[in-house]
Parts: sequence; structure tokens; C-alpha cells
Amino acid sequence: MAKKMCMAIFTGSVDKLTAAGVVLSGAAAQDMEVNIYVLLMGAYAFKKENVDTNKHLAELNDKKDEFFASLERLKVPKWIEFFRQAKELTNVKIHICGLAGKIWGGEKLEDFVDIADDIVGIGEYISAAEEADVNLFI
Amino acid sequence: MLNQEELKNLKADKVIDARGTACPGPLLAAKRALAEVSVGGIMEIMSSDEGTTKDIPKWANKMGHEFLGIVEEAGYWRIFMKKMK
Repeated sequence: MAKKMCMAIFTGSVDKLTAAGVVLSGAAAQDMEVNIYVLLMGAYAFKKENVDTNKHLAELNDKKDEFFASLERLKVPKWIEFFRQAKELTNVKIHICGLAGKIWGGEKLEDFVDIADDIVGIGEYISAAEEADVNLFI
Repeated sequence: MLNQEELKNLKADKVIDARGTACPGPLLAAKRALAEVSVGGIMEIMSSDEGTTKDIPKWANKMGHEFLGIVEEAGYWRIFMKKMK
């Protein structure tokens, strides 16, 4: 039986989302079943119109240019591509927190990136966290 | 595990060139390509990312495959594994 990972993504910052994508890739390579819950600031990043334009960093903002240049030089995919690839490789479900969506004007699933699976309440996150072998809050 | 001579003479059924990509690029490339290898087949992953030399052996063994060894070339590594299931 596949091991389960539960990942809460609170952040809307590209640096942390990239790290989440790298971790997610490791889980996908090991065929883990992954449930991702997108909370508050995360929902901003997952909104369709923000995916390509969001350049916020959580840390080292004075190094922003160096960070993005290095990602390009090292051929690191955009954060959302890690999530897309992981979904192709293993069972990954991306759940958007209903409250978080509303905060950023996202009422419907279509308001978010195409790889989002549904809009859920917090109870689902707690249940998934209880069942998971690995829990992460980013 | 095979010795360096055996590894150098090994003919892989599938060769993945993941040089120039950083972690987790080579691992994801290996994961994808393994689906195209028959059970018992040999896969070679070429990587210029040093972390991959630790990452892929652990991954291969954890997933129930056999890690065969690594040959170091100029600026990159050739990592060999056998698909076991």
C-alpha cells in the first residue's frame, strides 16, 4: 500500500512554493499518495491569473534577482510545473480551502489553476493529516 | 553491485541524459524512464548533479530495484540500476 503524504501549503511565495515542489517531486518519485491543502496565502498563488505573474519571496527579498536568475540557469522548472509533473507521476490531489479561495475572490474551482481538484473545508485537511505517514506545513 | 570494469562494459537498455539539470530533475527523469524499461532491464542515468549520486541509489533500492553502481566521468556521473519489478 502506498505511503501517504499530507502537505498544507499556506505560503503564496515563490521560494517556498518551489521548495514544496521539490519535496513533492521526491514523494512522487516514491509513488506516495499526496494530498495537498492550499490555505490562505497559498490560494493567491494558485489563482489562475497569478500563477505566471507572482514573484513574491518569503525571504531574502534583496536577493530576488539572483534567485530567479539562478533558477533559470539551473533549469529549475517554475513551481507550478513541479506540481503538474507530480500529478502525472503519482496520485496527487490539490484541494483549495474554501475560505482561502474567497479571500482572493476565488469562488469556483475554475478560478484556480487547472490542476486544482476541488474546493474543500478544513475538516478534510484534518482527516487527511490524521491518516498521513508524512505531514508538512509550508 | 558491480565493479568499475563490469559497469564500464555494461550495455544499458535505456540511457537517460539528465546532465545540466539540478535536483530533482535527474530523479524525475529516472522515474519517468523506468516505466519504459522491462523487468530485468538495465537503466543508465547520466547526471552532472552530485546529489543524484546519493539520491538515485537510495530511491532505486527503496522502490525494490537493484542499484548496480556508479562510474565517474569528467564532470558527470553514470548511474546504473536494474529494474526488478
